[in-house]
Amino acid sequence: MAEVGVLCRKELKDLSRSRAIAMLLVFLSAVILLSVLVAAADYRVKLAEYTAYADALKAAGGSPTPPPNLFPLQMLRAGIEYLEIVGGLFAVILGYGLVAKEKGSNTLQLLFTRPLGRHAFAGGKILATVIVWLVVVVALFAVIALAVLLAGRAQLGGQDFLRLAIAAAHTWVYFIMWSLLALTLASLTRQPASGLVLALVLWLVIVLVIPQIGDTMDPDNQIPGGFFASLQIDRTNEKALLTHFASYETGRDFVEQTSATKQYERAVFAYLGVKSQYNQMPLGAVWDATSHNSLWLLGTSVFTVAAAFLSTTRETLLRKLP
Amino acid sequence: MSVWVATIRQETVAARRERLPQFLLVVFMAMIAASAFIGSAAKGTVTEVYQEAVREGLTSAPNPFTTISPLYYARNTVIYIILIAALLAIVIGAQSTLRDRRARTIDLVLSRDVPPVKYLAAKLAGTGLLLLFILAVAALVNIACIAVAIGSFPTPAQAARILALFGVAWLFLIPFVTLGMLNGIRCATATSGLLLPIVVWSIVIFILPLLGTAAHPVSLLNPVSKSAPAESRFFELTSALTGPLSLGEQFKSTTALILEDPQAAGTAEGGLLVILGFFIAACLALLMAGPNHMRRELHG
Amino acid sequence: MTDMAIQITGLVKQYGEKTALEQLTLSVPRGEIFGLLGHNGAGKTTAVNILTTLLPPSSGTASVAGRDIQTQPAEVRRVIGYLPENVQFYDNLTLHENLMFFAQLSGVQHPAARIRVVLDIVDFPGHERERMGTFSKGMRQRAGIAQAILHEPEVLFLDEPTSGLDPQGVATLRNIIIRLNRELGVTVFMNTHLLGEVTRTCTSIGILSAGELIYQDSIAATMNSFPGQDSLEEIYLSIAAGTPS
Repeated sequence: MAEVGVLCRKELKDLSRSRAIAMLLVFLSAVILLSVLVAAADYRVKLAEYTAYADALKAAGGSPTPPPNLFPLQMLRAGIEYLEIVGGLFAVILGYGLVAKEKGSNTLQLLFTRPLGRHAFAGGKILATVIVWLVVVVALFAVIALAVLLAGRAQLGGQDFLRLAIAAAHTWVYFIMWSLLALTLASLTRQPASGLVLALVLWLVIVLVIPQIGDTMDPDNQIPGGFFASLQIDRTNEKALLTHFASYETGRDFVEQTSATKQYERAVFAYLGVKSQYNQMPLGAVWDATSHNSLWLLGTSVFTVAAAFLSTTRETLLRKLP
Repeated sequence: MSVWVATIRQETVAARRERLPQFLLVVFMAMIAASAFIGSAAKGTVTEVYQEAVREGLTSAPNPFTTISPLYYARNTVIYIILIAALLAIVIGAQSTLRDRRARTIDLVLSRDVPPVKYLAAKLAGTGLLLLFILAVAALVNIACIAVAIGSFPTPAQAARILALFGVAWLFLIPFVTLGMLNGIRCATATSGLLLPIVVWSIVIFILPLLGTAAHPVSLLNPVSKSAPAESRFFELTSALTGPLSLGEQFKSTTALILEDPQAAGTAEGGLLVILGFFIAACLALLMAGPNHMRRELHG
Repeated sequence: MTDMAIQITGLVKQYGEKTALEQLTLSVPRGEIFGLLGHNGAGKTTAVNILTTLLPPSSGTASVAGRDIQTQPAEVRRVIGYLPENVQFYDNLTLHENLMFFAQLSGVQHPAARIRVVLDIVDFPGHERERMGTFSKGMRQRAGIAQAILHEPEVLFLDEPTSGLDPQGVATLRNIIIRLNRELGVTVFMNTHLLGEVTRTCTSIGILSAGELIYQDSIAATMNSFPGQDSLEEIYLSIAAGTPS
């Protein structure tokens, strides 16, 4: 098993010097930072609007409702969405590159004429993927926490950091899933470019198309501001109404659940309190409500680990040799 | 004239035989066909929800969906054009120039009496025609599926509007073709030739709108436009800067007007001008920046 | 220990309907520099890929340094070195890092010291800390030989080693191969098209045609057997055409 460590170290060294990977990660960090800045600006605008409204109401002798609470982690909504869309895309690129560069050059022949164990190559690549994303996700979430603290001028407590750590763990698993899916496809296809195509098509379908279908099937998303709001129906009545349409909602939910991205989003949004129904809910209660999302994500990720482990072998990689 | 004909013919044949565009084309056509049925399912449910709400006395507001035109069922198409067809356009464009560099056939072409600008223009014309054909078929599929979903054919005026949507889509997609072509010419490796334009696409579609309107990326996947951002100097400034560059949002708002979306406000001229501006700038950029680099060696 | 470095019996490789190797039987004694010649598509690279355990044969047997390629592939990999055609490395890593990586994979005991030795053998000092993305073709070939001999292999397989090199690079590589063979006793099995180089480098040759071995002998015997032909090129062409004089 020593060769797994050797392969992994080589991979980490190679990746740490890749300018393309560095640029992609800087880009991702910048985008997330930007999204927090914009969310902070948006919040301040809303607060200013509220203050103006409250002042006007007081001047007229009325008593305004309390100001909207700032839940700093809610500012991460767009940032998390970027992680699931752009981060997923970058994870595909990274995973594809791990095999494509070996196939593109003939380093595979140099490797496989050495006494490697049957799964050493796959083991080294998988271990490197796991470590790279661990480091990157820790760095990204450090950026996120700093952005919320500094740009959002928010205060974070111990619970908030714990919630961020849980979101980071989900993000780690999510990125590993995409990288290893792309790695598997690049291994299984004779031309690694075909693997990239398949991975990109899957990314498109899982990250964008399926959530889009689920989103546009949502009755509340049919008009700006929400269908129920336009009918002046509150949240409780909305829920009661929708119980009459359980089969439609179940179907819509099923469509969304087939997307690992949606599983990731639901769990992370719940822990960060982005979805108002989970906001400020104790962590145990969030787990009770969303454990199936976390477990499905984990299961999908474990599946891709197994697929990468079993598919990235001498037989599949060397099929193209004359 | 023979350079044009030969190049256009070669371009369309080669692009048709590549696997990556084929995959994306299948996904695109499948989603175009499905979009009418998705819209139909959503509309049916919303109507039932409204009737139930009225029955239970929860609302006295008028049903916002009483007079839904068949064009309503085409609105998801707009999203699939932004998501899938734009990627398809990038891939077709990038493969077009990468193909020449990968096989070094560009040396064989340019060692003949073929001006590089003319060759590149002919390649763009070839991919443009192929895309036009794809969109024409998609339009017909879209109209046919809407007819099946609602049980009757759209009126000629409505069909014309759907065709106009796909016409604007062609203008919207050509800049992505040229982006792919230009990057295919200048990139160091085939992989970066494909991936860099995809990153640019993700910026244009998902990041620029956030700066201008604080719109969340996933909400941009919904054909219903996000409400205008809260009024502030910050968003006035960012919106003024990024609004015209948010090609995807411009396309969404323009096509919402073409499809007579009741929620769409304003006129289509502004959006159309932006799309046309991008179209012209992208073609010029390709023809000005491309020819000098076409023979660069491709690594990996 | 067997006297044969390579022993092939009835080796067949088929890709669907296409036969790449047809009942190949061949022996190469230890200490030889054996050149395998043949037209493009004759099956030379397939033969090397099978002998280096990169590809399984469809049928037949083969052993390298007394180890069976099918039943003892790991043992075979311990005693062979391989330089593929157009060798490439990890461009982001330095020469030293690349060699260290391959030395560790081959289980070399003192890799750093061994790297110094092999770089001396291939006469390639002063580039250890340079990233390999900047290397020329000739430099890559030398690095390729270095990685192939890190673990002191008994048999070295070279696939078109001089392909794409300038005359100086060809001469340098030839000297390295001869030195490895004469001073270190490494058996060399090489595929090549450059018949002039074969005459200068190899001690024996075999000719493959459409997957079949149609000729095998020492260089000296070959040159003597064809008195009417001035060069190996003429001899090769007449054998390949099936009209030996």
